[in-house]
Amino acid sequence: MAVHILETDGQVCPFPIVEAKETIALLDVGDELVINFDCTQATDALPRWAAEAGYPVTNFDRVGDAAWTITVQKA
Amino acid sequence: MLLTGLVLGIALGFAMQRGRFCVTGAFRDLWVTGNTRWLTAFLIVIAVQSVGVFTLDAVGVISLSSSAFPWLATVLGAFLFGFAIVLAGGCATGTYYRAGEGLVGSWLALIFYALFSAISKTGVLATGVSGIRSVTVEASTVHGLLGVSPWLMVTLLATAVVLLARHHLRKRPGARLATLPPRKHGIAHLLFEKQWGAFTTALVIAGLAILAWPLSWATGREAGLGITGPSSNIVNYLVSGDAEVIDWGVYLVLGILTGAFIAAKGSGEFRIRIPDAVTTVRSIAGGALMGIGASLAGGCTIGNAMVNTASFQLQGWVAFGFMILGTGLATRLFITGPSKARSARNAAARESPGQGAAALGSPTQTAHATRTSVRR
Repeated sequence: MAVHILETDGQVCPFPIVEAKETIALLDVGDELVINFDCTQATDALPRWAAEAGYPVTNFDRVGDAAWTITVQKA
Repeated sequence: MLLTGLVLGIALGFAMQRGRFCVTGAFRDLWVTGNTRWLTAFLIVIAVQSVGVFTLDAVGVISLSSSAFPWLATVLGAFLFGFAIVLAGGCATGTYYRAGEGLVGSWLALIFYALFSAISKTGVLATGVSGIRSVTVEASTVHGLLGVSPWLMVTLLATAVVLLARHHLRKRPGARLATLPPRKHGIAHLLFEKQWGAFTTALVIAGLAILAWPLSWATGREAGLGITGPSSNIVNYLVSGDAEVIDWGVYLVLGILTGAFIAAKGSGEFRIRIPDAVTTVRSIAGGALMGIGASLAGGCTIGNAMVNTASFQLQGWVAFGFMILGTGLATRLFITGPSKARSARNAAARESPGQGAAALGSPTQTAHATRTSVRR
């Protein structure tokens, strides 16, 4: 199982989610995508996208002031 | 009592930041994903506020007046504004509250938005703007045009919004929705950490939007929430020193900035964030076009699409529609179009042998560190 990292720090919404969708399309089922982001609205949009797409979230946490990471598994 | 504007603005900025209320996002989602959750939240604000506004009018606390509808300027300005908010990454209030979160791109958008509002309202573009705004039709409200009671419109809107909200509440992902691990307790958790629902946020904002009417009215500013006029007033005050232009609305927008800063700082979500070159240029262009668009249309997503809609002004609803169309065009040009092109390129690269790894390369200039490891 591979882990891929997507850095979106500095990008405002909706670019983190747009890039996450583009990137996860390239992964194999079971692979994990770590998305690092600093757009506040994405704390709402990314977990909701994962839930609606049926991708399990294996990690979701703050990594500093206005900085977050979420790990989504392709299913 | 201008200070009530500051207090209300702080509450509004706080609610918008904690609730992640973004009108640009609500309009944009329609074109990016077709999702209407945030648009429904926005409609909840209009519907609830509508009940409040017509009640206040009925009991005589405020009195809604009507003027001819500047249809041409509304159509042009709203389309331009809708286009511009995608470039700026936020509408007028969105830009104020994101500025409070420390996004330097939003500071630039805000400065250019306020500057171009002043240029369009009282500066070199004022003659042109008022010229286009003088093209009017003799109708002002939706209910007036249809010859029905405003309460019929309020009832229809409220029913539609309840049905939409019910639809969204039913398909709520619930337990499957990942949340951040809590680190605070008690009141600090409630204020600075707990995630607000979109519809809860909408109800809080609707309450504040209703309160804005009598509070603003009491100071002689006969309107509800508004962002563009006050932003222009700030510029006029700064360059002329004329304190007369400082009204309730000026305190309101300064409050939004302050409230968003308090909310962001308290929840560890404040950080000075520097945009890249592309975002910088887009923020400046977006801000400038927002100022012109909102001045033409007679209001932004708040003044027009959220407040003038609640009083069923034609200007509000027509602006609402054309803002969404403008957002659609900009979304296609700057977001979904480029994204589809990248996805197609990625898929093509994946098909060709020996390029499997390269396919994961960066779709934009961000650094993608791709590593492979075995976990679990």
